[in-house]
Amino acid sequence: MKKKTISLVLAAMMSIGMLAGCGSSSSADSSAAQSTEAAESATQAETTAATDASGNVTLRFAWWGGDERNEATQAVIDQYEEAHPGVTIEAEPGSNDGYHDKLATQLASGTAPDIVQIDPETMPTFVDAGDYFVDLNTTSIDMSTFDADYIAQRVNGNFDGKQLGLPTGIAGPAFLVDTTKAEQFGIDLTKEGITWEDWIDYAKKVQEQDPETYLFCANKEYITNLFVYPLAKQYGGPIFDEDGKLVTTEETLTKVFTYVKELYDSKAVAPASYQASYVGDDIQADANWIAGKYVVAPCYISTMDVMVAANPNDEYTAGALPVMADAKDDGFASNTPQLLSITNSCKNPEVAADFLNYFFNDEKAQETLGATRSVPPTEQARKICEEDGKISQVVTDATTNAMALNGTPNDKISSSSEAKAILFDTVEAIGYGQMSPEEAAATVIDEFSALQK
Amino acid sequence: MRKIEKKKQISDEDLKQKASVLDYIIIVVIGVILLYPLVWMFFATFKDNSEIFGSVSLWPKVWHPENYIDGWKGSAGFTYTKFFLNTFILVIPTTLLTLVSSTLVAYGFARFNLPHKKLLFTLLLAMMMLPNTVVIIPRYLLYNKFQWVDSYMPFYAPAILCCNSFFPYMIIQFLRGIPRDLDESAYIDGCSSWTTLWKIILPLMKPALFSAGLFQFLWTYNDYFNSLIFINSVKKYPISLAVRLSLDSESVVQWGKVMAMSFVAVVPLMILFFAAQKYFVEGIATSGMKN
Amino acid sequence: MAGAKAAVKKQHYSKRDYKGLLYLLPWLVGFAVLQLYPFITSFIYSFNDYTVGGTLNFVGLANYKELFTHDREFWNSLKVTILFALYTVPGKVILALLVAIFLNRNIRGINLIRTLYYIPSLFGGSVAIALLWRLMFMDNGVFNTMMTKLGLPNVSFLGDTKLALPTICMLEIWQFGSSMVMLLAALKNVPKELYEAADIDGGGKFAKFWHITIPQISPILFFTLLNQTIQEIQNFTSPYTITGGGPLKATNVLGIMLYKQGFSYFKMGYASAISWIEFVIILVFTLVLFGSSKFWVHYADE
Repeated sequence: MKKKTISLVLAAMMSIGMLAGCGSSSSADSSAAQSTEAAESATQAETTAATDASGNVTLRFAWWGGDERNEATQAVIDQYEEAHPGVTIEAEPGSNDGYHDKLATQLASGTAPDIVQIDPETMPTFVDAGDYFVDLNTTSIDMSTFDADYIAQRVNGNFDGKQLGLPTGIAGPAFLVDTTKAEQFGIDLTKEGITWEDWIDYAKKVQEQDPETYLFCANKEYITNLFVYPLAKQYGGPIFDEDGKLVTTEETLTKVFTYVKELYDSKAVAPASYQASYVGDDIQADANWIAGKYVVAPCYISTMDVMVAANPNDEYTAGALPVMADAKDDGFASNTPQLLSITNSCKNPEVAADFLNYFFNDEKAQETLGATRSVPPTEQARKICEEDGKISQVVTDATTNAMALNGTPNDKISSSSEAKAILFDTVEAIGYGQMSPEEAAATVIDEFSALQK
Repeated sequence: MRKIEKKKQISDEDLKQKASVLDYIIIVVIGVILLYPLVWMFFATFKDNSEIFGSVSLWPKVWHPENYIDGWKGSAGFTYTKFFLNTFILVIPTTLLTLVSSTLVAYGFARFNLPHKKLLFTLLLAMMMLPNTVVIIPRYLLYNKFQWVDSYMPFYAPAILCCNSFFPYMIIQFLRGIPRDLDESAYIDGCSSWTTLWKIILPLMKPALFSAGLFQFLWTYNDYFNSLIFINSVKKYPISLAVRLSLDSESVVQWGKVMAMSFVAVVPLMILFFAAQKYFVEGIATSGMKN
Repeated sequence: MAGAKAAVKKQHYSKRDYKGLLYLLPWLVGFAVLQLYPFITSFIYSFNDYTVGGTLNFVGLANYKELFTHDREFWNSLKVTILFALYTVPGKVILALLVAIFLNRNIRGINLIRTLYYIPSLFGGSVAIALLWRLMFMDNGVFNTMMTKLGLPNVSFLGDTKLALPTICMLEIWQFGSSMVMLLAALKNVPKELYEAADIDGGGKFAKFWHITIPQISPILFFTLLNQTIQEIQNFTSPYTITGGGPLKATNVLGIMLYKQGFSYFKMGYASAISWIEFVIILVFTLVLFGSSKFWVHYADE
């Protein structure tokens, strides 16, 4: 009934629009077009809201991704729809730019799509904000195909025993080595037992031979994610504990930031002012990487192929990950690049679960999806991908390296975007020589104290 | 009334203006400075990523016209034909509704001694001063209650209800530049306020209305943030969303394609502006009253 | 005529005045239904600890206190925002005015020329433009390469804390088209006989510009200034997409702070407090402009 009133109001609005636009015929035409459009969207809203009289179900599925992922996902949707007449899955793909802004708005107002892709490091913020997601343990999804330890981690969707999301793949830190360059400079980045100090020595060696080449292609964001977090954990364990208390010390952070300063001083990374042109994930666009003026790209398993594609003429391999002898934690941890969740506003969670089951466990779906969401999370899907040659050798090697380490994933406070922003700024300040490692550590401790629960 | 007829004459004489060589030199120099980045971008639409980021030369080493062909194919099962169509269905009514409502409101403000006029005017202005970022969530909740999300109503409704104060205010300023004697006398001659608006004010306001329409068209066309928040289904995506559809840090972004489509997106705007030019040039010339 | 005008002005709240409200109806409805609620809500949020989707938790002035006394970014952002507006608004309006005057004639090809000059503005805040600007101004970008060829030293436009903000302001100024169009429309409305009269009196070009053109277009010039001030104080798209607020917060305008607090950290209460401070800044600028308008803006209807 309520909907009827609203469509009446809509109709009234439209007729006002027509009246107001009566002066020119073209506007009357477009008002007509617009009212059909509005009528369309009104029916849309109705079918989306619930199952209609004939038992048809419409689900909305939102994700972000590039062309390949979009096509593969759409193909799986089509396959599922064909096998399940009466189920319509409306795709809502987007760019990763602004995706979570929108999702936050939708979750808060109960209009989120039924199935959503979420960044695992943003997920804790959503979980804290409200009861937005269905516990997948209560659904029909067969989760035995996943590695039990893997999906039991918080970062992979398990929040206090509730499986609020499922990992779409395996990702984690990776150091992509341009072997062509490494050989040229006579450095071995794949050697077992590589140390953090080795990297600094290598950096100096590279600089001696070619002052225009730097060891690492990194900006402040990548220095934070791939150096600061692992170092902090290796030196002093987690930054915040399970209860959200700040447990790392100023001493630990001073050591970490001393290393960061060394990275800049030894020109292991490009000067901070050069990095300023490449914000966030823009390192794949770094002109010097494309021109082959770096040796290593610190990145993620899920972005290795992207970095290779940016400079395809050289040979690549996965670099070794350094762990110090007395490390409190391995520091490097693998996790998922994204989670898939069912939202609580979903009217047909069982159908959504059935779709996810198909998405994760059906062989045809696995074949279609390939590695468009990084290395697949299930054994079977990985096998299919390997047979199809969809996973490159560097990615396989990097996955092996990452899985060999048992680092604790970043805790939910230090991985929040607010904490990250504090670290990004600090790293940048060190790079510009505006802060000493001691000052940096004191600042971070001060600002992190305000974030603890 | 005689005054206006005279204006028409002079305007016609105006057309015979000649420009010196110096004028053209200035025009070309400014033009080159202004447009060089865009010319560079135009050639970049034919390049692949390694050339866009790795080389600064203007001319592509290898031409990739397929950036346009592949780009037009769109993503997620919809082509740019659909995205363009959506954009026009979104933008054209929004623009027309804005023009109608802001003309009425501006006329009300500029030509009547309203009760509490100062307060109302302050409120009108104040609505421009609060950043969109922060009102968008309450606005979303509101539109969601009206079930307007994922339709174009979040664009049409504020347009017809004159919710972007920029437009009425701009038209008020233009109206205030038109001597009041004109409509005052028509009013005293017995015309209703509606007839005065329709017959006297509107023709005089053509340049203002064309610029307002142009702006609203342009801004709605380019509006990314509101489209992002209010439109969900790809089949309703306007171009501003479509262009960013496959931007993803975990995939190879074909920037040549993104730039190519950004360029294609601007073509209708260029045509529109070029066409609307005529009315600027005519300006006062055609607006003389037939008496 | 003058008598009639005075009479109309004197009639207080006459029948005709209420009729005027009829013309205001669309906005009155829009204001009450669509604008007032978000406006008030954001004001209430600013006194609450409110995470998107969470519950309101009244904290009084705590958000404002935190901003003024504790937030390391705030004072810098305030400064950057005001600088951003002070660079951009005059730059854009003066350039727009000069170009509009220059193009306000009917020479051959004028339509094409105006269209070409307007093209940069057609792109708006498109992703492609943000990328383009970076490619132009980055350390190994187009401009630095040109400078190298000319034998000039390289400049880190986006990496130098002093240059980053002006570089972004240049993008804003580059898109001066909408101000130009408005001023062009205003110039078209200047009665030509005023210039003729001045010709008879023997006024020079500059005198004509100063005593005729400027006063005649002053309502639109004023509006352009006002509108640009409001827009630029709120603007965050170009610094956000090009430098992300860096380097060292040199381009971190309040709009970026607001966006991050609201949409990255989901702290809507805090974000609302920032937006109300922005509101007050805009209000102050607006009042100053309105105050000054008495001295230089001339309305034909007065």
